[in-house]
Amino acid sequence: MTEYVGMVFVVASLIAIFSLTAPNFFQVETFRMTANQIPEVIILAVGMTYVLIVAGIDLSVGSVLALSSAVLGVCLVRYQLPLPVAVAASLGAGLACGAVNGSLTVAWRLPSFIVTLAMLQAARGLTHIVTGQQTQYFRPMIRELTSISVLGLSLPFLIAVAIAVLGQIVLCRTVFGRYMVAIGTNEEAARLSGIDPRRIKLVVFTLCGLLAAVAALAQSTRLGSATPTAGTGFELEVIAAVVIGGTSLMGGRGTVIRSVFGVIIIAILGRGLIQLGAADPTKQLITGCVIVAAVIVDHYRHSFRKAPLPTETPSPSL
Amino acid sequence: MDRLRVSGIRAVAVGALAMGVMLSGCAGKKEQKDAAAPGKPRVALVMKSLANEFFKTMEDGARNHQRQHLDQYDLIAQGIPDERDINRQHDLVQQMIAQKVDAIVIAPADSKAMVGVSKEAMDAGIVVVNIDNKFDADTLAQEGVSIPFVGPDNRKGARLAAEYLAQKLRPGDKVAIIEGIPTAFNAIMRKRGFEDAMTAARMVIVDSQSAHWETSEAEKVVSGMVSRHADLKAILCANDSMALGAVAALRSAGRLDDVLVVGFDNISAAQEYMKEGAILCTVDQHADQIAVEGIIYALDILEGAATPQDKETRVDLVTAGDIE
Amino acid sequence: MSATQDLLRVNGLSKSYAAPVLCDVGFDLHPGEIHALVGENGAGKTTLARIIAGLTQADAGQMHLNGRPYAPTGRAAAEQHGVRIVMQELNLIGTLTVAESIFIGRIPSWFGFVDRRRLHADAQELMARLRLDGIEPDRPVETLGVGQQQLVEIAAGLSRRCDLLILDEPTAALTATEVQLLFTQLEALKDSGVGIIYISHRLEELRRVADRVTVLRDGKVIGTRQAETAPLNDIIRMMIGRDLNEVQRPAGRACGPVALQVRGLSRGQSVRDVSFEVREGEILGFAGLMGSGRTETMRAIFGADRPDAGAVIVGDGDTPARIRSPRDAVRHGIALLTEDRKEQGLFLPLPVRVNISLARLRALAAFGHWIRPREESAVTRRLADALAVRCSSTEQPVAELSGGNQQKVVIARWLYRDCHVLLFDEPTRGIDIGAKLDIYRLLADLADRGKAIVVTSSDLLELFAICDRICVMSGGHLVATFKRGEWTEGKVMDAAFSGHIGGHAGKGA
Repeated sequence: MTEYVGMVFVVASLIAIFSLTAPNFFQVETFRMTANQIPEVIILAVGMTYVLIVAGIDLSVGSVLALSSAVLGVCLVRYQLPLPVAVAASLGAGLACGAVNGSLTVAWRLPSFIVTLAMLQAARGLTHIVTGQQTQYFRPMIRELTSISVLGLSLPFLIAVAIAVLGQIVLCRTVFGRYMVAIGTNEEAARLSGIDPRRIKLVVFTLCGLLAAVAALAQSTRLGSATPTAGTGFELEVIAAVVIGGTSLMGGRGTVIRSVFGVIIIAILGRGLIQLGAADPTKQLITGCVIVAAVIVDHYRHSFRKAPLPTETPSPSL
Repeated sequence: MDRLRVSGIRAVAVGALAMGVMLSGCAGKKEQKDAAAPGKPRVALVMKSLANEFFKTMEDGARNHQRQHLDQYDLIAQGIPDERDINRQHDLVQQMIAQKVDAIVIAPADSKAMVGVSKEAMDAGIVVVNIDNKFDADTLAQEGVSIPFVGPDNRKGARLAAEYLAQKLRPGDKVAIIEGIPTAFNAIMRKRGFEDAMTAARMVIVDSQSAHWETSEAEKVVSGMVSRHADLKAILCANDSMALGAVAALRSAGRLDDVLVVGFDNISAAQEYMKEGAILCTVDQHADQIAVEGIIYALDILEGAATPQDKETRVDLVTAGDIE
Repeated sequence: MSATQDLLRVNGLSKSYAAPVLCDVGFDLHPGEIHALVGENGAGKTTLARIIAGLTQADAGQMHLNGRPYAPTGRAAAEQHGVRIVMQELNLIGTLTVAESIFIGRIPSWFGFVDRRRLHADAQELMARLRLDGIEPDRPVETLGVGQQQLVEIAAGLSRRCDLLILDEPTAALTATEVQLLFTQLEALKDSGVGIIYISHRLEELRRVADRVTVLRDGKVIGTRQAETAPLNDIIRMMIGRDLNEVQRPAGRACGPVALQVRGLSRGQSVRDVSFEVREGEILGFAGLMGSGRTETMRAIFGADRPDAGAVIVGDGDTPARIRSPRDAVRHGIALLTEDRKEQGLFLPLPVRVNISLARLRALAAFGHWIRPREESAVTRRLADALAVRCSSTEQPVAELSGGNQQKVVIARWLYRDCHVLLFDEPTRGIDIGAKLDIYRLLADLADRGKAIVVTSSDLLELFAICDRICVMSGGHLVATFKRGEWTEGKVMDAAFSGHIGGHAGKGA
């Protein structure tokens, strides 16, 4: 459990600070509403953690999210398709984007930074084309999805938690998860051990695209609409959350649960600053500082262990 | 087998790329119609964000108008992908100067930064008409140019909506404002308009934060605001996208019935919400007419039929009652 | 022997860092002599060289140069006395040209402007003298191969006054032709009266170039021998303190059926039409100079690089195995233990457990996906114990293990994968002598259990000790195969050079 001490400490400190400074912050309602607002970030963080572990990066998640929700909206509004069909089409769009990212990265050995940067543009362009640059309003068509909740927690939130738990289990308990870590740690050694890194990477990128579509569904059900500009800059928020969680940008190291902590830290910080009524520049300044501070505080979790670590931390929970 | 697999993956990737190019190609086709005919004036419409429904409507309005007046002028419509990309717009204007168009109708991405290049255009003998986002008066004075402005008065529009809201509230009620991008001219004007009317009606503005025109960000901001101010009575949003986010937040907090939401821009999704009663009112600046008015005005100046001076376009309040 | 006869005399030299590195070392060098210093890693060769070159100061002891006390305070002081060192790691600045590198520090100039023409001419003259005229003086150093860079560095050392030259592992990165060139130069220097201290771990070179050999072990001088007459086995015994015969394989061992056949394997210039077979229970050695194609052959068999032509047959049949990737090779029971363990073999930050189980993870997983942690721990612990891997637990990151134990972890991975054919590429490189003997015993053990083993090594004596047969590669061709008892060092070296001395190109196996 020591590996979560640093994260829990940061979350607790943030809650304590805002409870003392922001009016009406320390309420069940605050946490319930914050929880209901983060499922899409949690879901994206799972995919991003995987991609970073295999030493890749996916900059296109925000655009792919926008495209997937655009497809959902257009299917429901313009073509009047039944909900399951629209959902399937939306998931298909995300899956396809992820598959393109993965196959371009693998087949031509391109850096995923470049491939997904291209996808960031391309998917955003497609989104504008698909929606005709109009916000799609479809709340009445998805009423079945929005009405479900448990203890005030929405269905998307519950699904996001389930995905995160499943993501963590797959990462640390399955052959696939172990292969991801091996590839991220040393791709050539993995290849020479008889693993096919290309296949694993293709699956990881495709999965990340699919999860972006799931995130789109989570967001759309709450907002009841799909805006062509949705998810702009999301990739950086997600990468920040995952990195706060201690996932290495160099690959091979990271856990999903810690990424979720990263998401929670950023969400609570954002919520707190809003409730403080902070001005825009102040918000940006403080967010930047907290990202760095969180990483530093977490660094000291090592002092909870007995031996000093020689170099990098090994992946904690294999 | 391996080689096969790689080429298989490559084939799929190429196919997907090709499809993407085709799709965007279809969309791009419209752009390529304006072959220059001799004698007709060529008007360049330099737009702001292509990603924004508002500007899209504006551009479509202009294209429709040109299609109906094919014999009167040629239209070159150009926009930038990002509303804030000042450099790109600067380059666009210079391209238009190089192409020796007769008139430039411009919706500046920045009310100060674009003055210089517009002056270059005027020095090159091109008629420049400013639409949508008004050039900064001081900067114009410094450069020693006057450029006619054709467009809506954002402040007036915001005032209209806020005055309508005031009728539903009692003096002393608490309200909050959701701003656009804080540095954007229209965002500033809309905020001022809201403030004018709310202060006049003796409402208390307890909070004002930016959600950068974005739905999901507005949801988070409004969610925090209603927690902080338990007795908030209304939220004034500087555009409809943010109003959608505000409604989502209020619904989630169970406050939709006691907090009123005001939008701006009159997008179709907002109309749906007005029918449901979730949004009280919005403002229509008749986007489709703004660019058209600007073009007509530019043509008039070219023919010598008008002297350059500012011209205001229509701004209307839209309430649930107006939609049917 | 009078003091004036010696160029350099070293008495009672001692040096400690955390632990003693040199202990009461005595050493002497005559003018016009090449004196080799040999010993295992950590024996103290390099420290001794650094002290003589002024890079480090001794804690105790004296040195005399030309009969006068000599105690250089730094590299510059040593160079003033005409003592120069060319080190293992390159000291060149990549973006400078060859000429600039040679004359760095005293580039001819005219009021601060570089006199390019003179620089060029001087460099060309020097290079011609050293028979390096193939290298353009204006080329940036970084565009040269490592071997050529080393030659440039040596040229830089020789361009100044030099009475005593120290070469620390100069041939590590050189090709056979470059080695030959270097040796010719050394002979010329020697004839002009320069004394040379030559540090190497390649014993086979010594006899070709050195006059005397001094063996260091654990910081002490074990003894000095005449290079020409001392049997290599003696020198090895002096180096490792044990007899290699301990691990010597008996001649004429019976081997099982053919386990792997390679037919006409080719890849580019480095593997040309290589054919051989290896039997179960056999240890087959691959000897050859650097760049002779041994590593490339192993990689091609394993599918790590795709061969241009040829077939690999598993077992004694006739049907070629379809091996297009390491994955296919592993499925056919072939394993490759790469030369570069850290870059290509190990997952350094990950625990021993993960490193061992990786190649056969599915066997430990329910439904082929769900890893059973308890079973994984048990299996990997058993293997680590069986191979005597020294680690605090199987959860320790392999980065923290010593080289020998890291190598055992890689071996454990492939043992667990149950591969029948094991290709070892330089299995003992960078491993201390104790662990080397462990690895030799392990290889013998594996062979006794019926595995077919192929070992490449630059250390001929190692191959002589452990192999049943030795194939020799030269210039990408497999040029000769010797059975135990048939080989001699001379025969193997002749074969190893045969591809370079010309005339071989058309021969083909």
